[in-house]
Amino acid sequence: MTQTDLAYHLKNIQHYYENTKVLDIDDLKIRKGSITGLLGPNGSGKSTLLKLLAFAQKPTMGSIFYNGRIEFPFSPTVRSKVTLLTQKPYLLKRIVFENIAYGLKIRKETKFLEDQVKKALLTVGLDYQNFAARKWHELSGGEAQRVAMAARLILKPEVLLLDEPIASVDTESAKLIRKASLKARDNWGATLVIASHDLQWLYSISDKQLSIFKGNIFSTGMENIITGPFVKTDEKSLVKKLGDGQIITLKAPTQEVCTAVIRKKNISIALERQPAGGVDNQLSGHIISMLLEKKNGQIMATISINDLSLILRLSPDQISHLDLYPGKKVILQFHSNDVEWI
Amino acid sequence: MDFIVAGFIKAFELLISGDSSTWTAVWATLKVSTCSMLLSIGAGLPCGFLLGYFDFKGKKHLRTILDTMLALPTVFIGLAVYAFISHQGPLGEFGLLFTLTGIAIGQTILAFPIVAALTASTIESIDHDLKLTLVTLGAGKRNIITTCLWEVRFGILAAAVTAYGRVLTEVGISMMVGGNIKYHTRTITTAIALETNKGLFADGIALGLVLIMIAFIVNLSLSFLRKQ
Repeated sequence: MTQTDLAYHLKNIQHYYENTKVLDIDDLKIRKGSITGLLGPNGSGKSTLLKLLAFAQKPTMGSIFYNGRIEFPFSPTVRSKVTLLTQKPYLLKRIVFENIAYGLKIRKETKFLEDQVKKALLTVGLDYQNFAARKWHELSGGEAQRVAMAARLILKPEVLLLDEPIASVDTESAKLIRKASLKARDNWGATLVIASHDLQWLYSISDKQLSIFKGNIFSTGMENIITGPFVKTDEKSLVKKLGDGQIITLKAPTQEVCTAVIRKKNISIALERQPAGGVDNQLSGHIISMLLEKKNGQIMATISINDLSLILRLSPDQISHLDLYPGKKVILQFHSNDVEWI
Repeated sequence: MDFIVAGFIKAFELLISGDSSTWTAVWATLKVSTCSMLLSIGAGLPCGFLLGYFDFKGKKHLRTILDTMLALPTVFIGLAVYAFISHQGPLGEFGLLFTLTGIAIGQTILAFPIVAALTASTIESIDHDLKLTLVTLGAGKRNIITTCLWEVRFGILAAAVTAYGRVLTEVGISMMVGGNIKYHTRTITTAIALETNKGLFADGIALGLVLIMIAFIVNLSLSFLRKQ
């Protein structure tokens, strides 16, 4: 990937709220025209990262290169090119038409404004006749989200950042938002970065997924995070007790950390337990979802083990060989040495 | 009870017949309150915006002072303005004592903290997502300020109406600084106080009705603007 292929290059970024570090990224590159999915639990730093990418905030430390140049908030070169749709979109206390036209008006690009608003509304599945004159408070949650999306799409931004765009919308709105996002990439080559908890939706739209936890990007793709409390059994190992009495044994960390990561590739699946002496973690659970990853033909399976959910990647052969389906009871196996602490 | 009913009947007669002492008091009130409102909005709105929008050292102390000023008694303001504009006072040479201008100065001091404090509270109540939304839609700093003000326009209007209500109904400043001079500095409230003391309820009720009418029209206009 050459520098000219990059929309963003983040170097040594650290961001603090008061004295708390919320983001710590050594190096992150985002390719032009790509769709990047951000995964991670609440408070992991996804929204902060999106705000920094939107140049709505300046990082406490580090540099953000946009199209090869260091850029800052309010820089005229990025102000009109990058836009962010926040998790709870704020609609101005005006009618829908004015909300959508706002960005173009402040850019003084008011030629064929009505036509442009019509097109933007259509892109998100809303009818101009019915919606243009509606006031901000006359919209449902899904409609408001789509109006906010239309207000961004009308700007034809180089970068479209979406923070939980389908968190509070119905299935139909989620489909339309997905369609509109893909259209932005296909029609004018927009770069998209999308944070979402909906794995299925995110995997269906993004080319690449990044997992963020405690402000660190620790992997590409979704990984299994196991949080404490852990109980120390001896100098070398810790255990986590699950609500149903099952126990996870993990190799103790060498430093003061409290979150364990078990990578998908290190987990295997079986229908019966192995005899003692083999792998030291064998957990019984049920498959709760199976998701096809279109780009590689693999299946992402989520297994619920009492109050814990673990994911692993399976091949279609494994699925048919073990006759796996949602609801089936399975045994997940992994070695205590395969833990990574973050 | 009869004298109250008679008072109401007489009040309508006074208003309809265009009684000069009644109507000069009404005009004096309108002139002086409008003038003081324009001045207090002119000064209070930017101060309130700065106080509500920006974070700076000493902001809390300024806010405490402003909030304390909300409770300033009108007689105290009247006394302070009197001291400054009386012949022995530092502004004595301008001859402002017992003039409508003098009353307007006092009423501006009364209304300023109301406009500024309520504007600051309104600005502080702006949804944090608004600023973020505007930034991400490409708004510059000036666009952000004007759009934020437009978004809270009803709150600012409410601040102005609250201040207007206070100015319209105050007696202390008008009495002390204006002197309640008939056909000159007599306002509705000072006239009501005087007429009631003299036992002329009808005149007092007539003026009271006008006062209520003005307050009603102002609030009706605000509701109309809200609907728009």
